[in-house]
Amino acid sequence: MCTAAASTRGAVLVAALWCASTILAGAHADDFDLRGTVRVAAHPEPDAVVWLDAPNAPRAPSEKPVVLDQRNFTFFPHVLAVRAGTMIDLPNNDRVFHNVFSFHDGKRFDLGLYPVGTSKQVYFDKPGLSRVFCNIHPNMTAYVKVVDSPYFAVSDREGRFTITSVPPGTYTYHAWRPGREELTGSSTLTPATVLDLQWR
Amino acid sequence: MAVKALAGTIVCGAVMLHATVAGAQSAAVEFDQSAGYSTEAVAAVHTKLHAFGEASPGLRFNVTSVWGKRSEESDAFGAAYPYTDHPVVLDAYAERTFRRAEKLFGVRVGRYRTPFGISSESDQAYVGFLRDPLIRYDDFFALSSAFFEHGADVVVGWPRLSLEASLGASADVGEHTRSTGLDQVLRGQAAAGDFIVGASYIHTRPHLARAEIDLPVGLDGDARLDQDIAADETRPLAPGRATFGGVDVRWMRGGVQLRGEVIAGRPFDGAATHGGYLDLIVHRPSMGPLTAALRAEHLAHRDGSMTVLNGERYVAAMRINVGHGVIAHVEMLHTTEGLSDHRPSAFDIGVSYSRRLQ
Repeated sequence: MCTAAASTRGAVLVAALWCASTILAGAHADDFDLRGTVRVAAHPEPDAVVWLDAPNAPRAPSEKPVVLDQRNFTFFPHVLAVRAGTMIDLPNNDRVFHNVFSFHDGKRFDLGLYPVGTSKQVYFDKPGLSRVFCNIHPNMTAYVKVVDSPYFAVSDREGRFTITSVPPGTYTYHAWRPGREELTGSSTLTPATVLDLQWR
Repeated sequence: MAVKALAGTIVCGAVMLHATVAGAQSAAVEFDQSAGYSTEAVAAVHTKLHAFGEASPGLRFNVTSVWGKRSEESDAFGAAYPYTDHPVVLDAYAERTFRRAEKLFGVRVGRYRTPFGISSESDQAYVGFLRDPLIRYDDFFALSSAFFEHGADVVVGWPRLSLEASLGASADVGEHTRSTGLDQVLRGQAAAGDFIVGASYIHTRPHLARAEIDLPVGLDGDARLDQDIAADETRPLAPGRATFGGVDVRWMRGGVQLRGEVIAGRPFDGAATHGGYLDLIVHRPSMGPLTAALRAEHLAHRDGSMTVLNGERYVAAMRINVGHGVIAHVEMLHTTEGLSDHRPSAFDIGVSYSRRLQ
């Protein structure tokens, strides 16, 4: 009897915590994970950014820190997607200095040199594309795609992507990859939807 | 020898690339090709292969091989690579860096650049200048940027305050190389705000013969010079030990970098060399692909009571990242009397192409 009561209290507590966390995070019970693939012709396309228009979607109260790493003379990841209003950490994990900068259409900055184990931050406040370089190592390049939506993802090596916690509805979707025109379309998305996008 | 060095780098890179790909770790090979011309009537071409990556999680490797040819002896286009007319391996090391509880501990083993002052290839070769500072030119009784060690290097401390120690045998590349022996290098570095400050000390062996067999720059006497050159080629290196100390400072803000280095010491018994440089490197975001650089530098060398070298050089340079791996350099310099055997002013132009294969 006591065990059953304790078990019931535990279940109620878990349910209450789950409700609180989902409300705080702006998520709902019928939200679902949207899956899909990105291809160029018949080939899977990695590093493509896919996002859904949702400029008024609520912002989660505590978002994970977003990192654009400098490691082994390489920016990692090569393509990073974030929501507008995100602070990005750019740690130097090489024993040589790097000089990270961006001067193209998006955010413009030059971080100068900083030693291994230290980091600098850049606040990406507006949607757009920032091409990021190292002024010392010309083969170090990365893209930061800033979108005005919490619903976005970057495709993996097999061209697959998953956008988490999407409320069902009709959305305008976009897809971008380096060197290609942006794909745009509209679709009614449900938990059964698989979004397959293709550049010709 | 030449073919062995290049083949060794390629095989080493290929093996590491294969091993790392098989182990699902990252690996890459970079190819650089550069060419340049100076109004000092010096032309140069250069090829570099750089293989790097992770052999296992956290264990990184670096292998660099270069092959350069220059029409005559000069420091022109020497900022990035030595010119040896045959392929040579520059770096070939493995390193691991640990970071725990904000502390830093790193180990590097193999063949690497002597870690004295502002010494890395990144620092000297890719900031806009085509020539090394005078104090880092191996023909001027100082510390060459082409000094290498076969040994182990350890860095301990925190990211913003660290101590680096290297123990190795000299394995230099270039025209003048140190005699074989054990070298010790100590370096401390601190970073605070916009400043990075370092202090270095090296205890090593001489890399040049005594200055008395060289003429002070500017003195006449072709017959004596020929005799000296002949003697230089047969005479052993100067005796004793070489010791240098140095301080380097960098300040950066908003794409403007001011940096300098002062080095002083004894290249061999009875001699003294001191010098330094101050660089202004500007790369504001509004400048797009352009980097502008200015340098003022000084070098003096005395052998006993005789002043062999004493002068200044002023450099204005620009680096243009054209895109798609192409970078163009232009550089104007003026050298005062007492340092240059060439015309006091020169104009250098260079172009490089770099591509990464992953």
